[in-house]
Amino acid sequence: MPEKHLSTQFDTELTSVSSRVMELGGLVESQIRHAIYSLANFSEEVANQVIEVENRVNQLEVEIDRDLSSIIGRRQPTARDLRLLMAMSKATANLERAGDETVRIARMVKSILASGASRQLPTSDLGVAADLASGLLRKALDAFARLDTAAAVSILREDDLIDREFDGFVRKLVTYMMEDPRTISASLDLLFLAKAIERIGDHAKNVAELIIYIVKGADVRHMPLGEIETTVK
Amino acid sequence: MEHAQVQSEKSKIRVKNLDFYYGKFHALKGINLDIPEKRVTAFIGPSGCGKSTLLRTFNRMYELYPEQRAVGAIELDGENLLTSKQDVALIRAKVGMVFQKPTPFPMSIYDNIAFGVKLFEKLSASDMDDRVEWALRKAALWNEVKDKLGQSGAGLSGGQQQRLCIARGIAIKPEVLLLDEPCSALDPISTAKVEELITELKNDYTVVIVTHNMQQAARCSDYTAYMYLGDLVEFGATEQMFFKPTRKETEDYITGRFG
Amino acid sequence: MSVMGIDSKQAMYQRRKRINSLALILSMSAMAFGLVWLVWILWETVRMGLSGLAVATFTQMTPPPNETGGLANAIYGSFLMVVLATFVGTPIGVMAGIYLAEYDAKGWLGTLTRFVNDILLSAPSIVVGLFVYAVVVTRFKSFSGWAGVMALALLVIPVVIRTTENMLQLVPAGLREAAYALGTPKWKVILSITMRSASAGVVTGVLLAVARISGETAPLLFTALSNQFWTSSLTEPMASLPVTIFKFAMSPYENWQQLAWAGVFLITVAVLGLNILARVITRKKH
Repeated sequence: MPEKHLSTQFDTELTSVSSRVMELGGLVESQIRHAIYSLANFSEEVANQVIEVENRVNQLEVEIDRDLSSIIGRRQPTARDLRLLMAMSKATANLERAGDETVRIARMVKSILASGASRQLPTSDLGVAADLASGLLRKALDAFARLDTAAAVSILREDDLIDREFDGFVRKLVTYMMEDPRTISASLDLLFLAKAIERIGDHAKNVAELIIYIVKGADVRHMPLGEIETTVK
Repeated sequence: MEHAQVQSEKSKIRVKNLDFYYGKFHALKGINLDIPEKRVTAFIGPSGCGKSTLLRTFNRMYELYPEQRAVGAIELDGENLLTSKQDVALIRAKVGMVFQKPTPFPMSIYDNIAFGVKLFEKLSASDMDDRVEWALRKAALWNEVKDKLGQSGAGLSGGQQQRLCIARGIAIKPEVLLLDEPCSALDPISTAKVEELITELKNDYTVVIVTHNMQQAARCSDYTAYMYLGDLVEFGATEQMFFKPTRKETEDYITGRFG
Repeated sequence: MSVMGIDSKQAMYQRRKRINSLALILSMSAMAFGLVWLVWILWETVRMGLSGLAVATFTQMTPPPNETGGLANAIYGSFLMVVLATFVGTPIGVMAGIYLAEYDAKGWLGTLTRFVNDILLSAPSIVVGLFVYAVVVTRFKSFSGWAGVMALALLVIPVVIRTTENMLQLVPAGLREAAYALGTPKWKVILSITMRSASAGVVTGVLLAVARISGETAPLLFTALSNQFWTSSLTEPMASLPVTIFKFAMSPYENWQQLAWAGVFLITVAVLGLNILARVITRKKH
């Protein structure tokens, strides 16, 4: 964070909670990477890795929220500091839920493996979307660390892309299911997977919106993209 | 800076290009400010920024000291206080002030309140009783002193004394109430009671409060003015000032990045 | 401190203790020295004075040598002149004190007044007496009680001015500002707020001035002189306790000497009483 407070203790507390948020982000990023890998290669081992990390993720979420409450209660932060702390709380929630989504993906992968219906499904398309989502989250975390509003806007634009990918994938699946009703249950599994990936993209978008909140003081949730761009200028 | 104004509110006091000097020292530099009517406006800023100086121009308190002078205009309901031909005592009856240190007069609680009233009004004994009771009720002090109105004001606790001074100021029914760091000398509970009082007072009076406690300004006021070294840096709605101030200097002060 | 051993710390402590005791002993001896004389004077006064005191002291006038009598005219004269001097001097002193403290603190008149007042305060009272002699007594070609009153008043005024000014300056500025903030005019602030706050101090000042002039002899010597007989007219020379004591104590006559002691006792009691009263008043305020 830019300038220092008169109270170095306050700065220390802020730095500490910020780095924890970054640590959480890093963990969730690794979860996504592993989830995508396990999906692409149907690896049960890697899927288990995703699930193992989840404990640490949950623990971090609890610790961060506790630290944030403590700072808010004791420091009565205002203006930028207040916005930063509020944003970190929301970002943490978003990251934790993104982590939940990756766990869902991992579990899906394991159940698909168990059912043995893995080979026939168009998972490669999913892979593209998954990479997009993972990249988006990484960019969002990076922009959050630097409080880069321009990067935030471009992330918001990219999330549109993922949404469109998702719609395309759903249409493909529907065609698939109509052609061969035996694939319906496997397709439904894939649908859930796709939905999970799309949600990860949404969480990345939320993190980007929070960057704009911190820097500009504007709450751009539910605002159309054009308006957001003018707000940021 | 350009005239700091609040769009939707009626102005009670308009400060226009006010300069203030302590001898040769230029303490206030071209202040332009509108104090909205029936609202609480807070002046905040680091020591020596001029907030108390500005407050004391509103009731021409500086006139007690020959080396202090004010140049410019301060309009109360349109009339310039600085050049008004009116007796300064009448101005002070309209613009009351409560100081940092509680100063009960050396007389009974009843006489303390009645003192100011007697200066301007001839009330019958029972009317005066009513006025004293009204003022003490308004200051949330009645219940604590109603049985000892004849006792000296000096026998009260610090918080009670300050509320006595507030009651004394209200008793003459001013239009504006100036509070110069009213809670500095008080403990937290008395402070809370006085803050509660301030929120109620704005129903009837225009209140201007100087405070070095930012959180108090955040809690009590509707509008806040941030001053630094004799300049008015920013003026706006308190909610806005403490969530997203316009000027970086304001944000630095409010977030404790410099004091 | 951790560098020093325990032993040297003890040594320092013992040294400090010794110096402490020494200082204590010295100051107590000094106090005892002062007290001894005071107690002795009081004892002598009471012993000698009481034996000379009788009802006659208050009812009969000063007698010729070797005849019985009292101090009635001297007591009355002292009382009258002191009271009148106080009545004349106090208002002047209080007003001047108010002027110095509340108006024009740094102006030329204020500075001049303060300067002159300081001189008058420490002026020997005999000088004041001579002044009144030159101006009044020679003018009217007679000693008189009024001249005595004037001399005493000139001694009262500086004390009252100084005390009033000091007491008023002690009143905190915040109190005045609070009164002004209500719209109080200046005269009312001074009267109802400032003077009221300082009242105890001002009264004390007056009482101390009275105590001072009760025992002044020199100024009365040249102004009121003395009178062997009873007079209630201030245009004539008037008897007073200090002058009478002066005359009687230096005489070889025993009855006169006894009356002198009685007079000393009376003055001491009066001054003591006034000082105690002054204390009581200041204590009541706090």
